[in-house]
Formats: sequence, structure tokens, C-alpha cells
Amino acid sequence: MKPIVETKNLSKWYGNVLGLSDVSLQIEPGIIGILGPNGAGKSTFLKLITGQIKPNIGNVRVKGQPIRNNYHLFSIMGFCPERDFFYEEMTGWKFITSLLKLHHFSQSEVEIRAQKALEIVELVEDKDRVIRSYSRGMRQRLKFAQAIAHDPEIMVLDEPLSGLDPLGRRKIIHLIKSYKGEGRTIIVSSHVLPEIEAMTKRIILIHQGKIFAQGDIHYIRDLIDTHPHIISIKCSDARQLASKFIQQDYVLKVHFSSSNDSLLIETNNRDKLFSLLPSVSIENKIDVDEITSPDDNLQAVFDYLVGK
Amino acid sequence: MNQENTRRFSFFLNSVKNVYSIFLSMGRKAKKTKVFFLFSFLPVVIAFIIKFNQIFSGRGKIQGIYIFSNLIVVFYLQFLILILALFFGTSVASEETEGQTLTYLTTRPIPKSAIVLGKYSAYTTLVILMMSVGVLLSFFILNVDNLGNFSLYKILLRDVIVLGLGIICYTAFFTFIGTFLKKSILVGLVFSFGWENVIQYFPGSTQRFSIIHYLKSLLPAPRTGRFSFLMFRLEPSPTGTAIVMLFLITGIFLGLACLLFSQKEYILED
Repeated sequence: MKPIVETKNLSKWYGNVLGLSDVSLQIEPGIIGILGPNGAGKSTFLKLITGQIKPNIGNVRVKGQPIRNNYHLFSIMGFCPERDFFYEEMTGWKFITSLLKLHHFSQSEVEIRAQKALEIVELVEDKDRVIRSYSRGMRQRLKFAQAIAHDPEIMVLDEPLSGLDPLGRRKIIHLIKSYKGEGRTIIVSSHVLPEIEAMTKRIILIHQGKIFAQGDIHYIRDLIDTHPHIISIKCSDARQLASKFIQQDYVLKVHFSSSNDSLLIETNNRDKLFSLLPSVSIENKIDVDEITSPDDNLQAVFDYLVGK
Repeated sequence: MNQENTRRFSFFLNSVKNVYSIFLSMGRKAKKTKVFFLFSFLPVVIAFIIKFNQIFSGRGKIQGIYIFSNLIVVFYLQFLILILALFFGTSVASEETEGQTLTYLTTRPIPKSAIVLGKYSAYTTLVILMMSVGVLLSFFILNVDNLGNFSLYKILLRDVIVLGLGIICYTAFFTFIGTFLKKSILVGLVFSFGWENVIQYFPGSTQRFSIIHYLKSLLPAPRTGRFSFLMFRLEPSPTGTAIVMLFLITGIFLGLACLLFSQKEYILED
């Protein structure tokens, strides 16, 4: 399949700070997730492929054409920025219609498209309010609306789910997934693995400005699953619970809290531990109050993988 | 080939027109416009005080049109249009970078130069309208007892045209400064009240390096009187030359602003 976005040896520095280093990849139609912790270089990559910043080394081609100053390409591209900035005194309606005007649509088409985009993100009722008065979630949905309003073939979405409530997230995820079937190319970034996982299986892992891994999401899942996890369990009898778990070969370490009401278990098989926990607690009449995973975040996983 | 060029030109003009209509509408409602609109009424208040004093003190020897001409030079030409052009011209680029809204415009199928020209045209229109309201009110207040004299309207028209040219030229210059420098307001203030107010009084050709020299060249020679020193100028350029120079300066700085805005990389800060 012909790549829609192609980068060759893409590198970017901000003064002495490395933004992105030697990124060469080809993006084909479908949904691709750009995953990495905060400051990994995701936004830099997305700004480079939308021509907003110039690479120090390398080049970007979208549909075979260089992107920088090639404004015609934006008739088929939509970009949702990460930053929460707007023309605050505009209404939501004015914001969307103004930006649609810049696509040279007729006035009637502008209005039809704006109405449709606002319906998709469920902002029709609030369209006449000034953006300044919008909540964080509404602002995020408005940003998304301006990226899809002109029905682009390529969508570049930088952290489109941040600031949304769980229901809002689910709707946007569902919407993004629905675009996949239409043959579009959607490049979506996030620092939250489950968010990306819910949208696509194809991911690119970015860490410290470099492509750390790319491919099927199962690959990263496997890596993560072999990463020792720390599970914190708050319960009525921490020592008894520990005595049951310590016999399992997938339990590597057990620590007790100073108050003796919780224990930290280090395991290399989270799933097995979680499947055993209910039966152990029932058989031994141990009340489990809370289960948390202190290191279950992408940064911890990356640190582990890089260290590995 | 010709057809292709015509198509491209019409696409470009359409892009400028669309940017213009968006920012004219947005600029009209902006807080900044409201503040500067009030600010532009300062000469109107002064005109009102002068006229009020003339009427009630009974010392109405000085003609209204004479005071009006001096008001144009002192308050409008050397102060107000500079301030308005400075704040609106520099904001063409800086409000997009400082407000971090630039992304919304640069990810649209329009040339970056159309963004500059569209915003410049919108803000120039706003400034000319703001200035014209104040000028008209000042004129009517100062000449309230002589409104039947139609020769005065010729003077009014000439002054409005000169001020309009000044706004067009200064806004183009400050648009360029705004695309070029981060601290554009500070540099603009130094230019407006340093360079422009000093260099015009230099003898020889040096005065021709100021915009105000060409604007003053379009006004009649100063009449003798207590304000005549304010109209002081050494060697006015011919009217035709002055107009050509004003348009040339406008064209050069707008061209540079478009070029710079298209090529420069604006890194929006966190």
C-alpha cells in the first residue's frame, strides 16, 4: 500500500534540546497511534508532519508532496492541536464557520458542515455561547470539531481525548474508529496506553525523541506484561494474604506498609495474581478494601523498557 | 498559462477576502478595539473644550478650521494614528503567536501571505473607521458656527485622505515589525516617538527617511500663528512623489511581512 505520510531521517532541535531524532517511517491509511510519555516528542512529530515547524534534518512528504508551505494539502488534512487555545471572544459557531470559510466553501456549505460537526461533538445547544465560557471538555470537543468539519482524508489528532469525561472519551473513540472504515488516515497521539489501545492496534512508540518501537499493539502489551508490576492491596489481614501469595512463582517480592494494613506485591504476571486474589480472600475471609497499581503508567513502563 | 495565473490570483484574492471578513468581524467586537475607539475620542474632547471656551469666554478670534488643522497635525498625525497603527499592525502576527491560535490559520488551504494581507486589511479598515469618527466629530464641533462654508469640507476631505494614507503606511510598517520581532511594541514606540518625531526636522535629505515627512508634504505650508512651529518642516517633497513614496513604503513593508511570515518558523511556547 502506498504510504500517505512518509518521513525520512526527521530530526528537530529546539536550541540545545532534542525534540525528535532521526525518525524515518511510513504511515499507511487506517488509524495509527503515537504513544509516548509527556515530553517524548509526540507533538513535535505531529507539528513536523503538518508543516508547522521545519525539521533541522530530513523531510516529510504527505501523499508524495512536501508538506512545508504546501497549503493545498490542508484541504485534505485536519489538525487538532494539543494546546487549549482559542479566539476566546468568538462563539463556538463563529469559530467553526470562520475556519470553514478558509476552505473556500460557499456560505450555505459552511453552515451545513459547521452544523454537522457541532452535532457530532454534541455542541449544537452551546454553539452561540462564547468559547471563553466553555468547560474544558467542551473546548476539547470544539477543537476536535474544527479538525473534522471539512471532512478531511488525513486527520492528525494531538491528544484528542485529554480533558474529556469518560462518556466523551468513549464517543470520540467510537467516532475515530468509525473513520477507519472510510479509508482515511488518522494519526492520533496519547500518553495513555488504554486510550490508544481502544482505537487501534497499530502503534508507534516514541521516547526521548526517538522511535522506540512500532508495530502491533500486542508487541508492546507483551513487553509490558513481562515488566514486573507492583500491586498495592489494602486489606483486613495483610500478612495472611501475603503468606498465600508468596508461594506463587510469579510473585517476586512482598513488602508491608508501616501500618500493616496493606502490602505491596511485585509480580511478573499481573493477570495470574488478579485471578487468584478473589478465591484467596474468600477462602481466608480477608476483606480487600483497595487494589492499586502504583507504577501502572506509561513512564514507568518506558523506564523499564529503556533500562532493559 | 495565463488562465492558470488568473485562477491562482483569484484563489489568492478569495483567501485574502475570507481572512479579511473573519478578522474585521472579530476585530470589531474585540476589547482592544473598544478601548482604542474611546482613546481616539481624546481630540474630540479637546475640540469640545476649546469650542466651549471660545463660546463662553467670548474670545472667538481664532477660526475653527485653523484649530482643526492644528489638531490634525498635533493629535492625529503625530500621535493617534501612530498609536493605533502600532497596536493593530503589530498584532497581525503577534496576537496569533502570543495567543497560540496560529495553528488554526496555518493548517488551512490558504497561503500564509493571504493571512497577513487579510488581517492587515481588516485592521487598517478598523483603524481608518475609528480615526474618521473622531476627525468628523472634531471638525463639526470646531466649525459648528461655519458649517455652511463648503470650502471647509475640501479641507476635511484632504485631511481624512492624508490620515488614511498615514494609517495604511504605518500599519504596513508595524505589521512587518510584528512578524519580525518579539518585542515589537517597544521597538514601535521608539520608532514612532523617537525616529519619526526627530528625523523629520533634520535638514537635507535625511528627513526623507521618515514616513511623516511624506504625510506632511501633502498638507499645505503652515500658516503663521502660535502653532506654526508644530507644522515646521524644511523641504517638503512634491505631492506626487509623496504619494508614490507612501505607497512604495507600504508595498515594501507588506511584501517583507508576507515573505517573513511565510518563511519564519514560529515556535509556540508552552
